[in-house]
Amino acid sequence: MRDYLKLTGILLIVCVVAAGVLGVTNAVTYEKILEQAIRENNEARKAVLSDVEEFYKINENGISDILSKPDYEIITEVYEGKSQGQTLGYTVKTSPKGYGGTVEIVIGIDMEGKVKGIKVGENSETPGLGKNAATPKFQGQFVGKDWDNGIVLIKNGIPKDNEILSIAGATVTSTAVVEGVNTALELVEEISDN
Amino acid sequence: MKLWKDFSNGLIKENPTFRLVLGTCPTMAVTTAVFNGLGMGIAVIAVLICSNLIISLINKIVPNEVRIPIYIVVIATFVSAVEMLIKAFSPALDSALGIFIPLIVVNCIILARAESFASKNPPLNSIMDGLGMGIGFTLALIFMSGVRELLGAGTFLNMPIFGAGFEPALILILPPGGFLVYGLAIALFNKLIVKKA
Repeated sequence: MRDYLKLTGILLIVCVVAAGVLGVTNAVTYEKILEQAIRENNEARKAVLSDVEEFYKINENGISDILSKPDYEIITEVYEGKSQGQTLGYTVKTSPKGYGGTVEIVIGIDMEGKVKGIKVGENSETPGLGKNAATPKFQGQFVGKDWDNGIVLIKNGIPKDNEILSIAGATVTSTAVVEGVNTALELVEEISDN
Repeated sequence: MKLWKDFSNGLIKENPTFRLVLGTCPTMAVTTAVFNGLGMGIAVIAVLICSNLIISLINKIVPNEVRIPIYIVVIATFVSAVEMLIKAFSPALDSALGIFIPLIVVNCIILARAESFASKNPPLNSIMDGLGMGIGFTLALIFMSGVRELLGAGTFLNMPIFGAGFEPALILILPPGGFLVYGLAIALFNKLIVKKA
């Protein structure tokens, strides 16, 4: 009996100390981590819509009936980009399902409905394959695509105006990114129609 | 000199990847690109040194019957704390190594060295062991990821090496290729590098 008490006691002490260490570290780092996340978000928005001076989170009440449509389920954030009071475009953050989980994509779209840039963010895709979706080479393909025709993924050949060449060996990831961009384009088209 | 032996042991004679065959799971995942192999290797060196040190410092007071859960709690706590600190204070390090840190908790090299070395040896020797094992692991990762990235993607550290006409053997960056390279590497390592006793 005494043996069990001693063993359990030591385990308890170790766990309490461990929990304490983690609690303290969390308290020290929590704010900073939040700040980093906000900073990264801002940078992503600036990267996909470069000439904008200020970003405003869209009043979700204003477009809630649009946002609640099931097609727009994967949309997590919409920001309006303004320069000197004029709206230059929107950034939409989507999280479609990829190969290893959701793939976060921020898409910048201007008032003519053209994609100005995309940035693939947090994801758990395969290194060397799906993770290459976050490269300028893949992301650059989307620049200039517009909302007139849906973007189509092709596996080989030369992509035409509304086509994107998939990453070899990473079709699921590429499909997810295309889905995200298409959904963003549809949403911005609906919003600007209003 | 015992300290040197404890250090050099992890490099060749008991190389964790090619001789002890430990940490296979993260090895497979991370050797698709040299950059990832390097990142993981560096993170593991840091964690190994510190976890070996901590375990060695407490090895006298840890009762034998509950040593495994205690080692696991210590290692997991340590890695989690390091992850939070990196995320908060070094976004550059985080974007380079971020995904590898949580993977290290399940890397059995850490627990294996805690159990077979740090629990029975003094702190300075444990640090040496951690350093040697970590470097041995990193070298193994660099070799494997070098082969896999070069032949499977045509690049090294993301720089194209072979030019546009090269058709990479994609299978090498997929799991079957990983196992093929691993098996061949173990055979090669043991045949050519390990000196017969």
